[in-house]
Amino acid sequence: MSKQGGKGGAAVGKGKKPAKAGADEKREDVLQAVILADSFQDRFRPFTLETPRCLLPLVNVPVIEYTLEFLASNGVQEVFIYCGSHHQNIEDYIRGSTRWDPRSSVSPFQKLDFIRVSDANSIGDFLRDLDKRAIITGDFILVHGDLVSNIQLDAILAKHRARREANRDACFTVVLRSVGEQPHRTARARGITPVFVVDPTTGRLLQYDEMHPLQSEHYVQLDPSVFSHGEFEIRTDLVDCGIDICTPDVLALWSESFDYELPRKNFLHGVLKDWELNGKMLYAEVLDSGYAARASNLQMYDCISQDVLERWTMPFVPDSNLVHGYTYKRVKDGNYIEHRVVIERGSKVTKSVVGGGTTVKTGSTVSRSIIGRRCKIGKNVRIENSYIWDDTVIGDGATVVHSIIANSAVVGAGCRVPEGSLISYHVQLADGVALPSKPPARIATLTDDQQPAETDERLVGAGGKGALYEVARDEEESDDEEGPSRDPAILQSSLIYSLEGLDITTSSVSSFESDNDFTSDVDDGDYDDGISTTESMDVSGGGGDFGSGEAQARTFDAASSKSQDAFHNDAVHGLHDALRDTTGDDFDSAKLEFMGLRLANNASDAAMRRAIAVAFTRRAAELFAPENGGPGLEAAKAAGEALTSKKGAVKFVREVGVGGEEVSQQAEFALALQRALASGAAGKLEPARAGLLLAAMLQQLYSLDVLEEEGILAWWADGRAEEGETMKVVREKCRVLVEWLENADEEESSEEEEDDDDEEEDD
Amino acid sequence: MAPSQAGHVPTLDNLIKSFNDRPLEATIDSLIFLLKRRQIKGDDCAKATAHILRQVVAKSKWTNVNQLLEKVRSDGTRLAQAAPLEPVIGNVVRRVLGLIRDEAAEDRNADDLASETASDIQDIQSLAPGAPPPQPLQRTTTAQMRPTLASLPSNLLVSNSMFNLLSVAEPTGSPITGASTPMSSALHASVHALRSEVMDGIEEILDEISQADDQIAGFADIQIHPGDYVLAYQPTKTVERFLIKAASKRRFTLLLAGLQTPDPSAEPPYAALRKRLAAAGVQTINLASNGLMAYIPRVNKVIFGAKAVYQNGGLLVDSGCCVAAQAAHEYLKPVIALCPVYKFTPEDPSNEVVRGELGDPSSYVSYANGPAVDLLDIENTVTDYIPPELVDVYLTNLGPQTRHHLASILADHYKTEDIAFSLQLDES
Repeated sequence: MSKQGGKGGAAVGKGKKPAKAGADEKREDVLQAVILADSFQDRFRPFTLETPRCLLPLVNVPVIEYTLEFLASNGVQEVFIYCGSHHQNIEDYIRGSTRWDPRSSVSPFQKLDFIRVSDANSIGDFLRDLDKRAIITGDFILVHGDLVSNIQLDAILAKHRARREANRDACFTVVLRSVGEQPHRTARARGITPVFVVDPTTGRLLQYDEMHPLQSEHYVQLDPSVFSHGEFEIRTDLVDCGIDICTPDVLALWSESFDYELPRKNFLHGVLKDWELNGKMLYAEVLDSGYAARASNLQMYDCISQDVLERWTMPFVPDSNLVHGYTYKRVKDGNYIEHRVVIERGSKVTKSVVGGGTTVKTGSTVSRSIIGRRCKIGKNVRIENSYIWDDTVIGDGATVVHSIIANSAVVGAGCRVPEGSLISYHVQLADGVALPSKPPARIATLTDDQQPAETDERLVGAGGKGALYEVARDEEESDDEEGPSRDPAILQSSLIYSLEGLDITTSSVSSFESDNDFTSDVDDGDYDDGISTTESMDVSGGGGDFGSGEAQARTFDAASSKSQDAFHNDAVHGLHDALRDTTGDDFDSAKLEFMGLRLANNASDAAMRRAIAVAFTRRAAELFAPENGGPGLEAAKAAGEALTSKKGAVKFVREVGVGGEEVSQQAEFALALQRALASGAAGKLEPARAGLLLAAMLQQLYSLDVLEEEGILAWWADGRAEEGETMKVVREKCRVLVEWLENADEEESSEEEEDDDDEEEDD
Repeated sequence: MAPSQAGHVPTLDNLIKSFNDRPLEATIDSLIFLLKRRQIKGDDCAKATAHILRQVVAKSKWTNVNQLLEKVRSDGTRLAQAAPLEPVIGNVVRRVLGLIRDEAAEDRNADDLASETASDIQDIQSLAPGAPPPQPLQRTTTAQMRPTLASLPSNLLVSNSMFNLLSVAEPTGSPITGASTPMSSALHASVHALRSEVMDGIEEILDEISQADDQIAGFADIQIHPGDYVLAYQPTKTVERFLIKAASKRRFTLLLAGLQTPDPSAEPPYAALRKRLAAAGVQTINLASNGLMAYIPRVNKVIFGAKAVYQNGGLLVDSGCCVAAQAAHEYLKPVIALCPVYKFTPEDPSNEVVRGELGDPSSYVSYANGPAVDLLDIENTVTDYIPPELVDVYLTNLGPQTRHHLASILADHYKTEDIAFSLQLDES
């Protein structure tokens, strides 16, 4: 839709005077960038309760400074910042900074706009909004607000432009940093491993998938079309730094797919999958030099901080003092120290960053840590690998190991803060408190819903402040797709990467199967619970007998994953609506939609068959049984109506539903029909009547040459058709048909034709 | 780099082009961040600083010399602090400050001769302790008065007087109020004149910067003798030009040391230089850096370019040069440092300089090499400090110098008032 709009706009532009074209060309020269300053994730909780992720200090500099400076160093002139939660904080920060304030004359950007989207729930919503705004004039850089990178994009931009000029469909370039095959801290910190299938000669992306240690299948299915490209590489050694170079067409793609939420998992995967439909070509630029990473979770935060200290991010290192008012100097022992830092004699600070106004008293050791401004570190304190933000107080004799302590927190004398602890803003630990090490504590003064938390004195000691931060239950559920213990995000929400305590056996596939198999499971928190229930009602045709259906349904697709469930529901809906539609008799659009869904979800043949079977039987059941709201036709008529009322429907069933000429495929389809009727998926029907309908449908299909007698007989012989009480009853009703078929089999084809004629008379 | 003619990455050239359509503050800020991000480094810093200071003089509002000096000093300080390891920035700022002082002094002299009133001189005299009071005398003959002025012992005169001369009616209460009107119009003219003179002066500094390499190359045939074996460690542009010039006059053998491990995709290092030398009939030998010491006995002299020369004679150089200098020193081979005069810095090397600037570790360890990244602490120094005793000849664009004559070069080029210009703001 919006793509057409774009084309229209271009045509109008061409129609105008050539001078205007000249101006357009000039506009083309302006490099634009879009910063997504909200990630819709809660991996930095509890810190992000109070501060947005992009303002968290990374080596004492708010993360967004790195991003903006990266854009400035690449000569970006116009920046649009999409803010979600905490937008006021971000705007205040930018407007308060002398360098970035859009009103100031020294800003390196000609334009810096904030865009707020009130009802955005995902990055996809942002980008769809961006498409509507039509502020993007040419190629633009899409980055996240937590990017740290020193890459110079000029060469990549030039390549992208060349590709786009050669082919309008080459609209997207992902910038990736190779990190080698050996274990690497950045790679380890990812939790989710992106799998890129790339054509090494052209750099074209062929497939994208994600893997994580908690998933049940430890393999990636290659799309067969990948093989048609000749040479390709499957790479998991890439760090996806979230820098995308896009043409405005990309936004149109987002708009076309209203359900895409994540730029990688949904968008990249989906667009590559649907390559044949959208014709777009996406490219990957794999870099072997330069630094790029996203502080997308606490482990990455940890990693990037260390990288900054080791100067991989050059020139984004503390002693560049890129932020106004910073006065870091590199001094001995690999330290970066600001003005007015007091490190008393007898204390030892190594490989650390210490902000201005901080005091480190005698006898303390600080190593590989980052300490903010105006902190007070007492005597004999030990701080290792930790991140201590501004204005904190650490009492005498305390020990802090590999933890994050946020602004204005107080750690009492003699406290022990073990590895992985997260201490949020304004928390106070009383003297002598030892925090638990397994699991590491997350302490905040706010609860998940932004209310002040009740102080837990057992945890923080008498006179302390703060409580264990716990993620609210419902939020967790809406946020992940596979139940709390199965979401890979759990790997990323702590500072230390650990698989400990997580059940990662592959056998327990069904442990996260939802109660009702046909319930559309919530995908990434898009729908709330209310919607998903209504959907399940809808799908099961007004709340049929779940009890009996459930066991069947479970066996029906024990191995199917959630995405296939989503596919099933969408597909059944789509087909059913098309069959029901009384206005037109065209089935092609429904078919197209179905194929699109299938590609998007990578649905298996079995899933397709099942969906088609359910859709058609539901329509037939509707027509057949008055209690389902239909006219209450006879079984044969209902079956005939369902299958033949739409042009192309029969062909569709033959080609897609059955999927081939083979007997086994026909048997599978017959089985799928039986199951759909028996399980109640098609609608509320007594088993006996369901059987009647099945017989009618099979007969109809037989007469339409969709199913051959061998297929139906093979189904009859199949043991699976007799599993369970209902199935048996349903099957029994078809005995007449089967016997008739067996007889017909013995006779000649001429007889068959007669039968066909009989059928038609019936209709 | 050819394909990206529409490159977006900011460069010095783009910055200079944008001078006309952007406000002064914005251009200064852009330069500061270019320096901070190391997008301008090395010899370009001097050029960039001179260009930007020219803009400061041309565009900023000032009505007297003090204001101009203050403006140049504050902007210069910001530039110098943006890249603490590029001392040439400070040098150029000092040169410009000195230039302004000189031009102002010249103007003053001209004014003195022309003006019959000389009210300001009168002021100073009345302020200065122990100054002779006969005012009528002064008025009649300025020429006679001059020796009196010069004979004044107070240093106050030297540092303050020349600015008061130009400043508008100081609050000290000038007895002759009627003089203010002609003064201010004269001032306008003088501001104008001063502005253009200072800009011309900066233009000259820019010329000097751009010509320095050629001038140094002019001494090539004196320094390099036929049949010499010359070792050049990581030749900079200055050194390359010097060698090419030498090749046109002399037959010698060049040993290139300190080469980076060649990137298979890129052109081999110094290919262009080697081609031109080969065309002139000079043989070049590439040395792997660890083979350097073995060749030193055969070498006649070692040449490298300096990033800066400190007042003690120490050099700031690209990393690795110090090894070459030390090796040469051990074998009593002359070490020649090519350093244009604008690189002479009237400062002592700071601790940071002596320790060397750290670059990113990627030239030693690939980021893709996970275990190494995790386990090793890699310090990649990109600059070296060479102590003065290792350097034999400083070949400047004014000719070869030894360490003992550096002080006079510094004295010629910088004014004592400006040497610590950045410290004055540091405290505030």
